[in-house]
Amino acid sequence: MFQPKYKWYDNFTTLTGGLIILGAIILVYVLAGLNGSFGLNNPFERFTMLKTLSEFKWMPLLIIFTPAVGGGIQLFFSRKTCYSRDTVVIVMSFSTILMTLLMYPTALDGGQLLSFPGFLGLGLSLKVDMLSLVMLLITSILWFLVMVYAHAYMIKEKRCNRFFFFMALTYSSVLGTLVSADLLTMFLFFEMMTITSYMLVTHGQKEESYSAGYNYIFMGLLGGFAIFVALVLMVVYVGDLSFTSAIVALQATGSIRYWIIGLLVMGFGIKAGMAPVHVWLPRAHPVAPTPASALLSGIMIKVGAYGVLRVATSYYFPVKNTVDSRFDPIWLTSETIGFSIIWLGMITMAIGVFLALQQSNIKRMLAYHSISQMGYIVMGIGVALYLGYYGAMGFAGSLYHIINHALFKSLLFMVAGSVYLHTRENDMYKLGGLWRKLPLSATVALIAALGISGIPLFNGFVSKTILHHGIVEAYEYGHASFRYAEWIFIVISAGTVCSFIKLYYYVFLGKMPDIYKSIKPKLNSLDVSMAAIAMMILFIGLNPSLILDLFIIPELRVISYDPQFINTYIVGMSVFTVSDMSIMVPIVILGFLIFIAGTKFHLFHLKLPGWLRIEYIFFYPSFHLMRGACRLLYGDQCPIDKKEYFKMDIKHNYDVGFLDRFVVLSHMFDKRFEKKIINSDALIYTILITLVIIIMMFV
Amino acid sequence: MNLVNDILAHVNFIGAMALFVIGLYMVVTHSNLIKRIMGINIMGTAIFYFFIAVGNVEDGAPPLLDPDGNALTFINPLPSVLILTGIVVVVSITVYSLSLVVRIYETYGTIDQKEMAQIEAEDDD
Amino acid sequence: MIEQLPIINLILLLTTALVIPLFKKQRFMVTLILSFVVLFIVWLSALYLLYHVNTTGAFYYRFGGYSPTIGLELLINPFSALFTFFVITLLMIIFIYSTADASDGIHEREYGRYYILMFILLFAMFGIIYTNDLFNTYVFMEILSITTCAIISIKRKKKNYAAAFRYVMLNEMGSLSYLFGVALLYMVTGYTNIELVFQGVQDVWVIYPTNIIIAAIFMIVGLGLKAAIFPLHIWLPDAHSAAPSSSSAILSAIVVKVYLIILVKVLFSVFGITIIEALHIPSLLMVIGAVGIVMGSFFAIAQHDIKRMLGYSSVAQIGYIVLGIGLASSLGLRIAFYHVFSHGIMKSVLFLSVGAVIYQRNLRKVTAYNGIGYMMPLSIGMFTLAALGMIGIPLTSGFISKFNLGIAALDGGQGIYIIILVVSGILNAIYYLPIIIAAFLRENPENQIYVSKDKVPLLMIMPILILGAFIVIIGVYPAIIFDLVDSAVSTFSF
Repeated sequence: MFQPKYKWYDNFTTLTGGLIILGAIILVYVLAGLNGSFGLNNPFERFTMLKTLSEFKWMPLLIIFTPAVGGGIQLFFSRKTCYSRDTVVIVMSFSTILMTLLMYPTALDGGQLLSFPGFLGLGLSLKVDMLSLVMLLITSILWFLVMVYAHAYMIKEKRCNRFFFFMALTYSSVLGTLVSADLLTMFLFFEMMTITSYMLVTHGQKEESYSAGYNYIFMGLLGGFAIFVALVLMVVYVGDLSFTSAIVALQATGSIRYWIIGLLVMGFGIKAGMAPVHVWLPRAHPVAPTPASALLSGIMIKVGAYGVLRVATSYYFPVKNTVDSRFDPIWLTSETIGFSIIWLGMITMAIGVFLALQQSNIKRMLAYHSISQMGYIVMGIGVALYLGYYGAMGFAGSLYHIINHALFKSLLFMVAGSVYLHTRENDMYKLGGLWRKLPLSATVALIAALGISGIPLFNGFVSKTILHHGIVEAYEYGHASFRYAEWIFIVISAGTVCSFIKLYYYVFLGKMPDIYKSIKPKLNSLDVSMAAIAMMILFIGLNPSLILDLFIIPELRVISYDPQFINTYIVGMSVFTVSDMSIMVPIVILGFLIFIAGTKFHLFHLKLPGWLRIEYIFFYPSFHLMRGACRLLYGDQCPIDKKEYFKMDIKHNYDVGFLDRFVVLSHMFDKRFEKKIINSDALIYTILITLVIIIMMFV
Repeated sequence: MNLVNDILAHVNFIGAMALFVIGLYMVVTHSNLIKRIMGINIMGTAIFYFFIAVGNVEDGAPPLLDPDGNALTFINPLPSVLILTGIVVVVSITVYSLSLVVRIYETYGTIDQKEMAQIEAEDDD
Repeated sequence: MIEQLPIINLILLLTTALVIPLFKKQRFMVTLILSFVVLFIVWLSALYLLYHVNTTGAFYYRFGGYSPTIGLELLINPFSALFTFFVITLLMIIFIYSTADASDGIHEREYGRYYILMFILLFAMFGIIYTNDLFNTYVFMEILSITTCAIISIKRKKKNYAAAFRYVMLNEMGSLSYLFGVALLYMVTGYTNIELVFQGVQDVWVIYPTNIIIAAIFMIVGLGLKAAIFPLHIWLPDAHSAAPSSSSAILSAIVVKVYLIILVKVLFSVFGITIIEALHIPSLLMVIGAVGIVMGSFFAIAQHDIKRMLGYSSVAQIGYIVLGIGLASSLGLRIAFYHVFSHGIMKSVLFLSVGAVIYQRNLRKVTAYNGIGYMMPLSIGMFTLAALGMIGIPLTSGFISKFNLGIAALDGGQGIYIIILVVSGILNAIYYLPIIIAAFLRENPENQIYVSKDKVPLLMIMPILILGAFIVIIGVYPAIIFDLVDSAVSTFSF
């Protein structure tokens, strides 16, 4: 009987390889044409049909529904083979890239508003402007490549039909979040994303995935409710939810404006893994199947950052061309917000790197690095807000870093997955010398590691340099305390360098354990997709101005930043200057020093005391309250389950979460009081009626 | 003296309230199902009494066709009519709950609410 | 002819209840067909009345042509037409379900009797909603509570009898309290017709405040007892969990709502906004509603029996409606009415899908749902949808309720209650999500990874799917309901 062999030249790999090459050609052609390099003309002017298609009104809706419909078709095809199912997946994701590219000209003009009045009460609306387009493009490209990877990775896993189905739904909701033009629409898709991606996190169906998933969904819901409250406040105090300037109305609300942005930052920040609400991230990302963790870390946390960026720069910024000075009092609100967001970003960066250095599980370490890198992005957003009129640098930096981090972090996760697939091992101390066995993985891992460390000629350098410019401007134009922020920035970058030296050293260099001698690597679609992402990292690293010119600067010009500032500092900006590159020298040296010191003094195996855990600090009072309540109800005897009651008594709350204890408390309360309440039926009526009479008569 | 007059003038209402409280007290304190039903009946009676007392007019004649034609004031007939309906309703409820008590006695073997609760608790375990 | 339609409806329902016992037990099919035809006719006329009052305005039906001072009167306005339509629509869908699942604990001999009760129930609810007379409301209420009680005790089990007894006793106390209130109002106004009482109350409010205060307290507490508002919810979990699945849906989704509808009538049509504001009743209701939302969910977390859990969840959701009523503004009332619909549909879906699970697998323990989502994808899928609605995820009607309730609360200067909404969402998630997660993501020893079809009759699955579709439809495009609700709200003056 014919069994489809798992060979590198199977039909699927041929198809995907062909599609990737086709996609690369189209991308290069379109981008180069738009940029006018190689003597190519703008393809949208050359082919009028493309221009007409680009003005197709329903395009945003189409792009949302493509993956969802694909999900349905997948389910139909999945009855036959996984090959036909995955072909549908690949074709659907590929077509979203094309659709995104098609929308470039309209996005350049500010985008077309597609509104659906009456839906969900207040009406929904979609719009693709430049910021959305950048996010859409990186999302669709990465999703496509990860889907190529997922085919080869998931083929050995169980329940892939469910996985791909929910992947498609998650994709739909991510795209929806990115194209929405008002807060309600964004919230709708954001919540859908939380729910659908939950199925990806818990896909493994192991005990740890349940607990991580539980953490994920409840944090996600909490974030959703934070946005919900902000939404209610916005409706009542501002009235207009579309992403346009609302600062005049907001200034009239007094302190409510800080509540609104605080709740929104909390809501989106939970998804973005911002400290101190990042606790779910290092648990959820590692337990998901690798393609899912690549996308969770690569795309989904960026959606949170995108949310903050979007709401802050639309609601809290004045209308374009109405202000022409950075000292206008209208900027005061965003300055205050930006100040706190910068420091939030700093804390996030520091916590992420510090905890990443302590990890031995590769995926966990990468997850902590996601937190740390999100700190960079959040800091950039902070600068974009803090400097107000002059904040363009921070905006550009954070947007650029969103793109770059998406690329190298998903690549790193994919490498981790590839290593895991061959060795079934996630602990970096148990690996070593794998470069001989997995040369391609080792090469792309090197590229990604150099990218994340911010070495010149790789993409991370570009965005980190812009972010560095941003923070320098923050103390030049603003508060002096950001001088320290810059130092922290440098130290954290060194920590990143160190931690990737460590990762690379322990996984790919050094001595190989004997059990891995028998690995026989094969070239397959895993490698194809990884190589494609590595190429993109290099491409951006070598042509940093392409993305700036084509995407980021047009977006900056839409926002009410100083056009003079953009022209002077960002247009034609070159990151390869001596002063910028020389910063990397101390960073790399410091990174090496930390690595050597760490291995010498075993600093990477520090066990932190339990009370330093964020959860512990958060829930400490509530634990004591609940335990006290239980003692009050029952003393030391336990009438229910000994095991249940024991949960209330465990000192370390890592094993027993807040919710578990809450459920136990409710069980105890119920056991103790429910029957009594029910049996005292008429008494309650009597008491209530007497009470109400007393209240009414005497108040 | 005023107080006594007031009480005498409103004796119907006070009596109704007292009946209501007695009925409620019975429902609250007794765990015997039949006694609880009796309590509810007393409460119902209290309210009917109250309602009819509302319709009472001092020195009024019964609201019947008067052949002599010398009665000037009549008692308001509407509350009495309403209460007739009310009595029917409460009687049917009483009958229904008594039939339930029979069933409960058949299945639980007791008509004491506390014992029923104990039996239920044992069933749960 | 149109003027006669309400009374024709009532008579039709009552006659059907009387005709059903005439059929032989062997001809059960005839009963079902007859019932369905009657329900459909009544549904059509309710629909027509809804259309009629919304286009040409409200009208009265006076029995025997007596003047409203002494006679009975039915008032058909957008409010009553809307809620009769709601009741009959939901009941008709649940009826279809019950034809297939009547076996849930009901003796075969008693199928017919079950439908008799259903028609009397419907008759009483129509009467309550249509009538414009306080005493008439009392009579219909008693018919309703005795019928409900009979439906609860139709399953011949220990627990049903105990639950039914508690139900009948407490409901009788509630009715008597209500009647006491009516008597006190009659004492000062001399009428039982709602509009005349309203006039009278406004006139004598200054002279006899004590009467009116005590009347208000007794009426509200009495109706609260019947509507299971939080500290008076004691009878609800037992009654709703003991009843057959389809009746649990009817009780939770419709019957309890009818009492809330009377509460709205009493508050805003009998006493009027000025008096209840002067008595601080709205703020009291809001506090009670908020406490109910939290405590109902808190108790629901601890339940082992899934139907009891759903019962407590109803207590919490009633809190939402009470909160909306307590806002005492047209925005608040609007969302309270919307939530009557929204919760009615969601809770029916929950009870019916749980009923399907009980039918196919006989599982009532919350912890026993492992892997069941693959055996009954449709039922559990709809359960998931409704549960997400309860949590307040957008695209479901639950989100619209929550969102608009938040807006109404903040608009009325009661922003603090938004926190309650959030807390309630999280609490709902704590007890609904584990079930969904277990159903779809936990291993079951006999679980195949492959999805199989639900092995329940089509007549059970169809109503669940229809109601599930409604959750999404009114969640995505709430204007369908809001337009009707707005005209219903406009019948009350604020």
